[in-house]
Amino acid sequence: MAKNLHTDLAPDISVVKPHFLFAAIGLLVLGILMVFTSSDFAGIYYNHRMLAVTHTAVLGWLMMLVFGSLYQLIPVVFETSLYSEKLAKFTFWFTAFSIVFLVYTFWIGDYTRLLPYAATLMYLSLFFFVFNVGMSYKNARIKNIKSVFILAAVGWLFLAETEGLLMALNFKYNFYATSHVQHLQGHALMGLIGFFVMMIFGVGTTLIPMFLISHQLNESYLYKTFYLINGGLAGLILSKYFFPNKYLYFLFWVIIIIGVIYYFFYIYDSYKKRMKKHLDVGMKYTMLSLVFLLIPMILSLIMILLPQNPELNRWGQVLALLFGLSMIFGFFTTIALGQTYKTLPFIIWLEKYQHLVGKYHTPLPRELYSEKVAGIQFYFYMSFLILLLAGILLQNLLILKIATLLFLIVGILYNFNVWKMFFHDSEQYINKREKEILNK
Amino acid sequence: MGKDIKKIREIENDIYELLKTVMDPEIELDIVNLGLVYNILYDGDKDVRIEMTLSTPACPLGDAITENVKNTIKKKYPDFNVDVDVVFDPPWDASMISEEGKIKLGMM
Repeated sequence: MAKNLHTDLAPDISVVKPHFLFAAIGLLVLGILMVFTSSDFAGIYYNHRMLAVTHTAVLGWLMMLVFGSLYQLIPVVFETSLYSEKLAKFTFWFTAFSIVFLVYTFWIGDYTRLLPYAATLMYLSLFFFVFNVGMSYKNARIKNIKSVFILAAVGWLFLAETEGLLMALNFKYNFYATSHVQHLQGHALMGLIGFFVMMIFGVGTTLIPMFLISHQLNESYLYKTFYLINGGLAGLILSKYFFPNKYLYFLFWVIIIIGVIYYFFYIYDSYKKRMKKHLDVGMKYTMLSLVFLLIPMILSLIMILLPQNPELNRWGQVLALLFGLSMIFGFFTTIALGQTYKTLPFIIWLEKYQHLVGKYHTPLPRELYSEKVAGIQFYFYMSFLILLLAGILLQNLLILKIATLLFLIVGILYNFNVWKMFFHDSEQYINKREKEILNK
Repeated sequence: MGKDIKKIREIENDIYELLKTVMDPEIELDIVNLGLVYNILYDGDKDVRIEMTLSTPACPLGDAITENVKNTIKKKYPDFNVDVDVVFDPPWDASMISEEGKIKLGMM
């Protein structure tokens, strides 16, 4: 009998769908906010409007997408069902409210009156997520290196959020003895490298070979990646808090980068052994995102080696901004845009057509969205990335304005395809196809 | 009365041809040319058993593919009891793809 297949364990679609919708709207809101703040990209990055933009990107867009995708992928990676679907649904609404509240708080720059409450709600939201994933892992039938990546990622998320909450409370109660920027860097590193990179790498170890259809890969690369990135990151954060020293930072960054390179070896192995030679738009985004990850890695080393003097201080800020943006847009957003076109069509297709396959002519998952729009979106997105980096490096407001407008168009095109998939009418499609077949 | 072996083979061959219409929605190739179908066993009466595999045990489309196999066979043979047995031994690999499949996938 066909049993123990992943679909027996998959969560109800009502758990997953709202996350993709929220993320799509989050991307659109991010585009709008970036148009309004484009001049800030040429200025000082640490201001309340930029914090609103950053948190819209990492929480409203990326994290919601990660939550939805992970709920769908837990049965694939852990070979168990999600611990609690009810908790996941509750977490969605709680998180959605917390994100809107937190972004609004940053946008108006209310650090003392509203921020402690917004950060506390955000902390609770993430705690519910971490608990649900942690309990799912406990029940996992498979506990291999791929699932450990995900466990480590949620662990880092918990630490990043704890630091986030403490920083928010510190604005009001002022208990930190050390610089706020130091804590902000710790919070960002734990969130960006610890959570997002680990999570994307972990999920990618299953998804990328699955989509490329490649087998017999060298998993020893994954162990090296795991230990080097986690070890390097732990060392980097501890040294930032307790032993600030630029040579130590350099050493730990090099360790992290070697870990990333080992991951590239794993993906290259998968790419080389792939049976599906043609890369569709989703896989193009995915492969490019990994190449773009090299940019923040190289920048991290340059930032450390940059001599400390007032003339170069300005460049230090520019590089820090470039580092953050190349992580968020170059790597995370690129892979998120690509993987949406790989996962969402299948999720919707399974919902609408699983019971109809074989009985009627059904479309392919990729036919649920417009490939033409996805292709145009790809070129707009690449143009945005190039102009964003150029605009920051040249400190040119006009280029930045054009870049942010391009990003807004990307958001609109992406939303067009996401909503097209959500509103796909299977009955109408089948009736149309049946009529076409009869007329032939 | 002995079972008509010729008739059994005919129906098994017909089912084999029918399964060429069942697509793997991700790879966009039918499951026969992909080499996913290991065995088709028809008992000469109403029971048919399909022994097949998936390109990966974690395949999220597993149920959709097996459902498609059942529905496709039942569309032509509504009285048949179709049992789809998904096995992972031997595990599937690229060498199982037919020449035609390799050409369609751009591997040749």
